[in-house]
Amino acid sequence: MEKTGIAVWNPVEIPQKRCAMWRFPLRSIWVERIETEWHVLSLPETRGNGGASYRIVSRSQKPASSQWRHYLHRDSRAMQPAPVLPDRPVVMRPDRALTLLPGQSTIFFLELPVWFRLSTGGHRPAKVFEEPLSVLSRTWFGDPVNGDLCWGLATRLHHSIESVEPVADRAVCPLMIENDSESDLEFQKICLHVENLSIFRGTRHLWTNSLHAVFKGPDQATQMEIIHTPPGFEEGMVPLSEARLPSTGWNIRRTFGMLKYFTDF
Amino acid sequence: MFVTQIKTWLGTLSPDVLTRGLRVAITVVFGLVLVRLLAVVTQRYVMKKSTLQRQMIVRKIISYTGFFLVLMAVLGELGVKLTALLGAAGIVGIAVGFASQTSVSNIISGLFLISEKPFKIGDVIKIGGTTGIIQSIDLLSIKIRTFDNLFVRIPNEKILTSEVTNITRFPIRRMDILFQVDYGQDLARVHGALAAIASANPWSLDEPEPVIMFTEFKESGIEVLLGLWFAKTDFMDLKNSIMKDISARFAADGIRFAHPRRMVRLSPDSPDSPRRRASATTA
Repeated sequence: MEKTGIAVWNPVEIPQKRCAMWRFPLRSIWVERIETEWHVLSLPETRGNGGASYRIVSRSQKPASSQWRHYLHRDSRAMQPAPVLPDRPVVMRPDRALTLLPGQSTIFFLELPVWFRLSTGGHRPAKVFEEPLSVLSRTWFGDPVNGDLCWGLATRLHHSIESVEPVADRAVCPLMIENDSESDLEFQKICLHVENLSIFRGTRHLWTNSLHAVFKGPDQATQMEIIHTPPGFEEGMVPLSEARLPSTGWNIRRTFGMLKYFTDF
Repeated sequence: MFVTQIKTWLGTLSPDVLTRGLRVAITVVFGLVLVRLLAVVTQRYVMKKSTLQRQMIVRKIISYTGFFLVLMAVLGELGVKLTALLGAAGIVGIAVGFASQTSVSNIISGLFLISEKPFKIGDVIKIGGTTGIIQSIDLLSIKIRTFDNLFVRIPNEKILTSEVTNITRFPIRRMDILFQVDYGQDLARVHGALAAIASANPWSLDEPEPVIMFTEFKESGIEVLLGLWFAKTDFMDLKNSIMKDISARFAADGIRFAHPRRMVRLSPDSPDSPRRRASATTA
């Protein structure tokens, strides 16, 4: 039985002497259960694009590798794969430098890479392991003395959800911005504190919480507000994973990287 | 046998001595427990948000003051006249003071270091030829554990008069790698290869951007500087991986490193030519 698209995030039960395999464009995950032990292998994929898939295969098909990791858990019948957001803020470098003029507002649909988390256990699930599904670069947001270590990602600024391809290894983050200032708001870099965001499952896409920002000028502190209800762009949103660090928002001054902040060094 | 001997010995003591002994024992036990308790409570609860360094200093001040007070109380209990003792201590103190100028200098240097805060416990510092992690900052000295697991004690006076480099003060650092490429190499290709290496390395930050600079024409080749920014905890990973990356990429692209070499050219027409001299001798 093969599952594709966001159905790969459905809970699974692996029969004895069988292996589960999740295949993503840049990584494949192999899981085998032997009594109370979970054997997990994560391998890089080279195909780079294409969809995600999940299937149960026989043990003879599992790759021989010294990289298998072994975990022990008493309650090991069902297994819950879940997409989670990266463990550090993500600095997104838009494909084009865009300026939001004073008094204007817009919405962007940003694509965030997700990590694969495997949990097991009943009402108190235990995390077995976590693995990034795409390669992100390390980057620094701030000056060399103060700032945040982040993941870096080149991205496209989508104005409509229709232009976002539905994939299982990326979640869509709706970002609403109002420029309520007298100055231009330039998007050269956007730092999203993804550790504060949850993931929901829609009918076609994975989603994160919506973000709402009112920019009041580079010198004024404005909060980035996290909308905690599921985004209303698709029907029947189901929560899939909680935020690593639940929060109500963060300071917008640490969100937009404008040229003037980076000319000091 | 032993217990019987103690009982016999206690029987020989007068009740007054016994009472005094008991009071001294109680003073010592309760005094020391109280001092210890006070130090722990202050460190854990009152100074919970202070730096480790401050916590350690306050704990030591409380401990030393407490022990001194307990000692005074015990001496008082034993009938030692404290005024005479303190007078004698004053004279001894002057003598000791003259003899311990270095220690006093270290203490004063320690106070300066504490107020200036050039480093804290856990920082990696380099002082002289010693590099290591700070384990404690005391009034007389700091203690360092080097990366080859040696314990080094450096007097505060020496630190105050030396150049100290705090390697882990800032969250990110730049690693500069200097090497030379052979003359005749396509420098644009070298630049492109280095940019690709930096971009592909998982430990190198892409912001701030890596620095690639052709710095000097040297005797054997052109000197190149590759400066990569990294998070301070990733030093070893970056250092090991980047050297391998550069070596592999240069080998694949046919870029040659420069090696020291000296070219000696002897012209056959020169009167100094050994061949000419040899043929002249034969003729």
